Amino acid sequence: MSPVQNALALLFLPLATALVTALFFRRQPAVGRALSLAAAAGIVWLGSRLIFFTENFTIAAEWLTLGPLTIKLGILVDDLTKLMLFVVAFIGFLIHVFSVGYMKGEAHAARFFGCLSLFMFSMIGLTLADDLIMLFIFWELVGLSSFLLINFYYDRPAAVIASKKAFIVNRIGDFGFLLGIILAYWAFDTITLVDIAARLDTSPELIATSIALLIFCGAVGKSGQFPLHVWLPDAMEGPTPVSALIHAATMVAAGIFLLCRVGVIMTGDALTIILWTGVVTALFAGVTAFGQRDIKRILAYSTISQLGFMVAAYALGSLIALRNGADATLAGITAGAAAAMFHLTTHAFFKALLFLGAGSVIHASHHEQDIYRLGGLWKKMPITFATFTLGTLALAGAPFFSGFFSKDAILLLAWQYEPVVFGLLLFGALLTALYMTRLWSAAFLGAPRSEGAEHAHESPVSMTVPLVLLAVGAVLAGYVWFYPSALAVVPTAALALLQGEGHTLVAVAGSSAFVFGAGLGLLFYRPGAAGDFLQQRLPALYRVMEERFYLDALYDWYVAKVQQRFAMLLNFLEQIILAGLIVRGFAGLVGLLGLGARALHTGSLNAYVYWFLLGLVILWAVVAGIFNLQ
Amino acid sequence: MSIGLNDYLFLSALLFALGFFGVLLRKNTLVIYMCLELMLVATTLALVAFSRYNGTMDGNVFVFFILTVAAAEVAVGLAIIVALFRRRLTVQVDELNALRN
Repeated sequence: MSPVQNALALLFLPLATALVTALFFRRQPAVGRALSLAAAAGIVWLGSRLIFFTENFTIAAEWLTLGPLTIKLGILVDDLTKLMLFVVAFIGFLIHVFSVGYMKGEAHAARFFGCLSLFMFSMIGLTLADDLIMLFIFWELVGLSSFLLINFYYDRPAAVIASKKAFIVNRIGDFGFLLGIILAYWAFDTITLVDIAARLDTSPELIATSIALLIFCGAVGKSGQFPLHVWLPDAMEGPTPVSALIHAATMVAAGIFLLCRVGVIMTGDALTIILWTGVVTALFAGVTAFGQRDIKRILAYSTISQLGFMVAAYALGSLIALRNGADATLAGITAGAAAAMFHLTTHAFFKALLFLGAGSVIHASHHEQDIYRLGGLWKKMPITFATFTLGTLALAGAPFFSGFFSKDAILLLAWQYEPVVFGLLLFGALLTALYMTRLWSAAFLGAPRSEGAEHAHESPVSMTVPLVLLAVGAVLAGYVWFYPSALAVVPTAALALLQGEGHTLVAVAGSSAFVFGAGLGLLFYRPGAAGDFLQQRLPALYRVMEERFYLDALYDWYVAKVQQRFAMLLNFLEQIILAGLIVRGFAGLVGLLGLGARALHTGSLNAYVYWFLLGLVILWAVVAGIFNLQ
Repeated sequence: MSIGLNDYLFLSALLFALGFFGVLLRKNTLVIYMCLELMLVATTLALVAFSRYNGTMDGNVFVFFILTVAAAEVAVGLAIIVALFRRRLTVQVDELNALRN
């Protein structure tokens, strides 16, 4: 099997199983599950061949020629692809295994597994894509599979609303992405990244920045950056394995992957905006997490916050390179891209672990998701508790866990760029430790506070084994020896940053953020507390956080009161002017003429003779010159 | 008193008007048909009068053609009326309004 065949087989295997499931086995959960699991295992096998035994390569074939525009479809396998593929294939497989236990007894499990395979196809296509058009196609496909999986429980109104919200909010971002591609073609007559980059120097600053920012719009939508983050917490209505795979580990990280791919077309202004978007997102989502009681929603806000860290990291690296006057280093894996992708990888491990742990808890406690109605699970679910704790430590940035190293790399870049950014991101790290302690302490410690938590018991092996394997990754993914040599390029580059200027200070600051965050967390959110600390002490502030700073309400208001009214106005104009006056008006005019002509047609010969007389008189009048008015 | 062009034209107009009002007011198809012929003849009278007045033969030639065509037309027209009577048993125009609906 040649590398290209290998890549194509990898791409189409999950599509094939999704199609077979959709066409023949929709009502047979067991077959759908087996097919999907086989596809996931096949992806691991084919993906490993591609990652470990294949040199980097790129290949493209012409697909469409539209006048001067030639669209190519191609495969690009480089270090970035390999790392992303590793995350998708291995974590994807573990989540498939977990789903077997989680979806047991679900009548529509075949549809679930079919959609999961469809998602794997889309995500692999996205990682293999070599140019913007192909990237965009698979970008839309992951959005579609996300939509299908969020409303898996389509009989729940909340799930349906959430899926629509996710789709529409993503459309806003994707529209920007598409506009960016179109603007690039309009300005430069090309959509190939290398060619665009070559012409950036001679083009007006405004156009270059606009292209970069419009393409970033796609990442804002898909990676839940402020202000388009509102869909991600609602997307938690989907089954928990979906939240782990799509809305924590892979799809939402696609925005980061996109940014790293299009690094060459970035400009200084665009990067500054991207940096602040990331910083604002990291802090905003971190603060909002304190107002949530739903275990999955807290994790969702944490995901948004971490994605903000990655976006900021990406921008920081390139900004530092630009400040040092070495613009050529924007190509390939820059320091920022390395730090962002490294954090993406470690985050994929510990966040998938945390979501699956949450899924295990939800499964065991009969769908109890409120952390203040859980509690006492440490004794009843020891494996889930142990692995969840490791995931929490990794996310909170406890020293020597994976999250510590990747977050340190980001903080170090921030320190080298601008102390203000460093301070804000350090505060973000502290918030992370604080809200994760709140979640961990409320959900696992103390005594059970509900019927469901009372009767909880450890989940089956198919669910605990993935937890244990992911926990190993969550602990060790920060060390370069964890990665086989084929994958080590990005982690090495990121960890090399930790040798940079100010590393001792940043490491101490990062560790202190964890210690303070976790310490304050244990102080404020005591195990066994019946209610939320903040809710009791500062109910007004808690209320604002619970309402997500009224941003969703603002959007609802905008849609209902501004956009809907505008749409109604347009509808009114359409009904009155287009449909009423023009379409019906012309029809009415012709009908009226017909009515008149019909009245002339009496069928009586005498009447016709009168008309003949009238015609004769008019003829005479014309000949006699009566109409000549000169 | 000599009879000039104007007198012929007056007679022609009178005959045409008679024929026209016959067509307008009478209900019997056969009578209407005769009135139509009267109008045709009135025009031929005017043509002959102009021909004489101008001293050329053009008008006379026209009259011969018109009379020939009129003879043929009468044959067709009367045949239609006969066929109509056989089919509908009436020649009153009031009752011949099948085109209306």
